[in-house]
Amino acid sequence: MRKTLITVALGSSLMASAVSAETIGVSMAVFDDNFLTVLRNGMIDHAATLDGVELQVEDAQNDVGKQLSQVQNFIAGGVDAIIVNPVDTDATVAISQAASNAGIPLVYVNRQPVNVDELPENQAFVASDEKESGTLQTQEVCRLLKEKGTTEASIVVIMGELSNQAARMRTQDIKDVIATPECSFMTIVEEQTANWSRTQGADLMTNWLSAGVSFDAVISNNDEMAIGAIQSLKSSGLSMDDVIVAGIDGTQDALASMAAGDLDLSVFQNASGQGHGAVDAALSLSRGEKVENRVYVPFELVTPENLAKYQALN
Amino acid sequence: MNANAIAPAVPARPARRLPPELNIFLVLIGICIVFEILGWVFQGQSFLGNTQRLSIMILQVSVIGVIAIGVTQVIISGGIDLSSGSVVGATAMVAMSVGQIATDRAVYPHLTDLPAIVPIMVGLLIGLGCGAVNGALVAYTRIPPFIATLGMMVTARGFAKWYTKGQPISFPTDGFAAIGQGLNPVWIFLLVAAIMHVVLRYTRYGKYTYAIGANPQAARVTGINVERHIVKIYAVAGLLAGLAGIMVAARGLTAQAGMGAMYELDAIAMAVIGGVSLTGGRGSILGTMIGMIIFGVIISGFTFLRLDAYYQEMIKGAIIVAAVIADMHRQRKRIKKS
Repeated sequence: MRKTLITVALGSSLMASAVSAETIGVSMAVFDDNFLTVLRNGMIDHAATLDGVELQVEDAQNDVGKQLSQVQNFIAGGVDAIIVNPVDTDATVAISQAASNAGIPLVYVNRQPVNVDELPENQAFVASDEKESGTLQTQEVCRLLKEKGTTEASIVVIMGELSNQAARMRTQDIKDVIATPECSFMTIVEEQTANWSRTQGADLMTNWLSAGVSFDAVISNNDEMAIGAIQSLKSSGLSMDDVIVAGIDGTQDALASMAAGDLDLSVFQNASGQGHGAVDAALSLSRGEKVENRVYVPFELVTPENLAKYQALN
Repeated sequence: MNANAIAPAVPARPARRLPPELNIFLVLIGICIVFEILGWVFQGQSFLGNTQRLSIMILQVSVIGVIAIGVTQVIISGGIDLSSGSVVGATAMVAMSVGQIATDRAVYPHLTDLPAIVPIMVGLLIGLGCGAVNGALVAYTRIPPFIATLGMMVTARGFAKWYTKGQPISFPTDGFAAIGQGLNPVWIFLLVAAIMHVVLRYTRYGKYTYAIGANPQAARVTGINVERHIVKIYAVAGLLAGLAGIMVAARGLTAQAGMGAMYELDAIAMAVIGGVSLTGGRGSILGTMIGMIIFGVIISGFTFLRLDAYYQEMIKGAIIVAAVIADMHRQRKRIKKS
């Protein structure tokens, strides 16, 4: 209900800006998310380097209805292309239809639309293959445990928001890797959500420790929760050398934690690269060039060895 | 309603009567016993006999608890405050921006490594300001508190996002971070609770608050400056939300625009579970504290029992409603008897 009220309060008063050389309308699922902010800035920075390309970025505030209105407003305003970071990946059919009826190219970024296989010619999806992230992460944990000579390893899994596709995929990736013979010595002993949040990650870890759960590695669906878990582990006086902690995202805070010797690994999703790719795809489509149905920006494993490279980024 | 309703509500009660918080306290004991039994049956260990668990039970809810204390007095006065979660986000961002160590990512590169008192004062002032605006809107424009604070909820969240264009702010100074480390949030909570308990129970501020909540017309007739007092009530609630924002940032060592989302609803739920009446005039800090502990016990209990994550929220919602029903039922029985 709160969301509805916000929508009503703010309305969707979108002004069609004067159409310049090339205008791209961008509807982001939500502004106050670290990762999506880096992605958004990646788009803005890239567009700034291009001559005569103007971005109009809107915040859908996690509201499906608002996002659709924004897209319709973009269409009404006569933009050359639209980039959508979907609020709900199941609600993209209507968006695709609206854009294709108007003949305006559409690019989905970061979150995979449900109709990705049925996208028309002038629509594309730019993201990283979610399958890679949890897989890279768990394989590295598996390798580190083997290196330590562990023969039986207990794993705790901290999941993101339960309704979120990335959380489900990453958790499934962990299970898939554990199902392979090379990593079958790992067992998941606990699996709970901390809603992507650092403080909830910390609280969850303390609750586990107080319940006497013992484990060799913590695999978290994102860095924030992993950092929270580390804060708890440290305040309980546990040595960070005895436990492997793995995150995903490669945020600046995570890199700092890794530099301090706490976080063991993360997986970098190139947010800015995705933003860059989305703008390029949108421009190509608006100029009538062909673009692959799916454009994948690869995930990259971040370890203490290649840490420096990522600290320079963002 | 008559003027008697504004007689100093709580202190005047004869001492021999059982405190109204007893009911909800029994619910809390009941929940603990259930977890204790389930603990022995399914986990083979004690639920309560673990000091680390006892401390996390309180620690994980102490930030929202501070908000709940402020919200309690707003609800007692017959109002509501929906803005506290957003005020947490806004104050966390601004306080952290003047509480950073010198890095190349500092928000204000020339304002780093300041003593902790600077971010604390800045945060508290922002909270106080937001609260005072809420109070002034409610008192002088006569718009319903639900709408006034809803406006602040949207505005403060927007401000938090705008402040750094959505970027998180991290790397606080050690002094600032200390506020959130270890059990410090619990001590801060207990201090706030103790002060507000005394204030509501034994001072003129408290008596006015109960009086306005029970019957604003009568309160006005007896010479209370209702408008000015309402501004004070909301300002105190804002101040405490600001404090919570400082605590949550110091605890997480980071400030993010989305921080505190939905805290207002948890805080209101804690107060209501603790026997604070949404129609105003009834409730206490002690009750809210018990409501808050019930929240903490439930969160820890679920993890302790290794309950599947998908079931937790559904059961939590049911327990909240059941706790209030149990409380109301006992209250009604007691009123009938007396």
